Amino acid sequence: MSGVLEGAELRLVTPGEAIGASSGARAGSGVIIQNEKLIATKVGWVNEKNGVTSINPINSAYMPRSGDLVIGIVESVRNNLWFAEVNGPFNGLLPMSLAPWKVEFGAAREQMDIGDIMLARIQEVDEAHNIVLTMKGVGLRKLKEGIMEEIPINTIAHLRGENNSLLNKLKDASDCRIIVAENGRVWIDGEGNGISFVRSIIEKTRNSGHNSRFTENILEIIEERRSA
Amino acid sequence: MGGYGDVKLLRDDGLRLDGRKIDEMREVEIEAGVLPAADGSAWVKHGLNVAVCAIYGPMEAHPRKIQRQDRAVIDVRYNMAPFSTSDRIRPGFNRRSREISKVTAEALESVVLVERYPRSKIRVEIEILAAEAGTRCVGITAAAVALADAGIPMRDLIVGVASGKVEDTVVLDLDKAEDNYGQADLPMGILPTTGEIAFLQMDGDLSVDEYNTCLQYNMKAAKEIHTIMVDALRRRYESKNGGEK
Amino acid sequence: MVELVPKLLRQELNKLAEEDKRIDGRKRWESREITLETNCLYNAEGSAKVVWGETVIYAGVKFEVRTPWPDRPTQGSLMCGAELRPVAGRKYEPGPPSPESIELGRVVDRGIRESGCIDMDSLCIIPGEKVLGIMIDIHVLSDKGNIFDACALGAIAALRTAIVPAERFDIGEDYPLSVSMTPTMCSFTRVGGRYVLDANEKEELGGDERIHITLGDEGHLHSLQKGLKGTFTPAEFDEILQVAQGRCKELANLVNAQEE
Repeated sequence: MSGVLEGAELRLVTPGEAIGASSGARAGSGVIIQNEKLIATKVGWVNEKNGVTSINPINSAYMPRSGDLVIGIVESVRNNLWFAEVNGPFNGLLPMSLAPWKVEFGAAREQMDIGDIMLARIQEVDEAHNIVLTMKGVGLRKLKEGIMEEIPINTIAHLRGENNSLLNKLKDASDCRIIVAENGRVWIDGEGNGISFVRSIIEKTRNSGHNSRFTENILEIIEERRSA
Repeated sequence: MGGYGDVKLLRDDGLRLDGRKIDEMREVEIEAGVLPAADGSAWVKHGLNVAVCAIYGPMEAHPRKIQRQDRAVIDVRYNMAPFSTSDRIRPGFNRRSREISKVTAEALESVVLVERYPRSKIRVEIEILAAEAGTRCVGITAAAVALADAGIPMRDLIVGVASGKVEDTVVLDLDKAEDNYGQADLPMGILPTTGEIAFLQMDGDLSVDEYNTCLQYNMKAAKEIHTIMVDALRRRYESKNGGEK
Repeated sequence: MVELVPKLLRQELNKLAEEDKRIDGRKRWESREITLETNCLYNAEGSAKVVWGETVIYAGVKFEVRTPWPDRPTQGSLMCGAELRPVAGRKYEPGPPSPESIELGRVVDRGIRESGCIDMDSLCIIPGEKVLGIMIDIHVLSDKGNIFDACALGAIAALRTAIVPAERFDIGEDYPLSVSMTPTMCSFTRVGGRYVLDANEKEELGGDERIHITLGDEGHLHSLQKGLKGTFTPAEFDEILQVAQGRCKELANLVNAQEE
């Protein structure tokens, strides 16, 4: 992801644009092969790595995959399960058996109700595209404090940085706890001043998270805050 | 078509009433990402036509009976604002909008990689704010730019263009008078890179030769508009890049 | 679609209110930035585009020649309607006009009508036979909060710059519609327990009731509306009315500047 950002030659393509001949190349994400040509299907930067050509899209919808860490909002509650909105094309389902609590049948609402925010993992996405969530696992829980923000899916990796380096610096500088989930939702908890600082960075991520100078700019802002 | 009557649509010098050559388009301006509430959006001014399009989704398709197990449903609403025409239109769906919405949805389904999002729905909201002939084509162009802006994968963009016949002459891109008093109108949705046609309607009277000339004009115009669409999408992201402090 | 209200949002708005702060850093009585453009649509006899923060609306004016009501043979008519179509946001659904869009249209309509800015007798062409009807349609394209104020601003701006298409109706030469006043609306939403001016979409989602105030040139009240669940005290109203007095003047100036 970050490899292309450092590349000297950036090429911005639009859907239908031919990137090159398909012979000897493999089509990665955002690319299809049509009439022996590699064709872009999204607006974005071309990325070629190990013989695979893909697009770093400028905008993208969240497609749930099993194993993803997600932040969901409880949308409805049944006797023994919860439905959560996960910013994707389908809602997620959390069965009682994968919840962290033992509750009696019919008492699910006592633990988690409509509007509550949960940190969960996607257990599986079946062939019918049903999303099953789990809250069994380290750190998975109902988020009772803090705030929630959203960023475009394609900027998640940029906000985190290589091995979470940028995110860790941001946590240090703001003295906040921050979780960047795969579905583009970000949870932040800390003092008011720290939260507003992180929020200003989130706003920048939304507007210029795909920018090649993004990391550099954010590091500067973090440095400014530190030295102030 | 209103029919060929006493109205003169071509000047003695061979140009059209608004000064265009017979194979000349009206001016086209496009901007991507104009509606912050939407997942993707576009604004298109084509002559005096103004259309905006908002994209929402892919999202869970409700009600369940509209879901398709193997692909996303494209839910298009083409709508003319009450103040978009010379006589005010009463708000609400009518037969014309319904038909245009249906064929537009099917045209878009031919370029969007709908199989990537089974059981979901992609909402395409086309609003015509000012109408000066050719609004369905302007709507298609706006929808394509908005879908690209939303990051929905497509195998090509799609461009709405029309040609027609006035005073027994084939002309590109009918304006209001030409649409009202001309003899034929042939709107198309063209995939600019491959040259395939995903949207086709026609009414009036055309010989096979005249049809072929219309097709040729439409293909030419599709390429021209395509350049403007690509430019709009690039500008949207490059300006963001440059705007960063 | 019923919008989900994340509990964390309400919690945060309450916390911010305690420190007299707002979620986007604005002050309590601070509005977002507004861009107003008029005469932007072909076919509309008057039109306005309002970009209010990230909220976008268009308003268009059309005229018709109609027969007057028998009991008011010399009076024309004015009608203002708003459409909240699915284009405006994820939560909006297709179908017949929702109660929300009807309320929006009627509140804007009352503010303009009751200010008396249009002299209905001036719309008479032939007494008892022909009068002009004015129709203002408002189209919300992007709802990012406070569509009421944006719609009211767009409606009066489109009206004040409208040209009566008299030639088309065979009643003489085209002329600018005479509008004697610039009524504008100011809306307040209860967020975290206290009222704020010009709530954004997050404040509306996690907030409570709202109050809409339309004032005319003299600062007189022309339309009031309280919407959504909640109550307020007379003292609270006094406070926001005072804010509205100043703010409505600024909005009217913005509209009047368009005419030069």
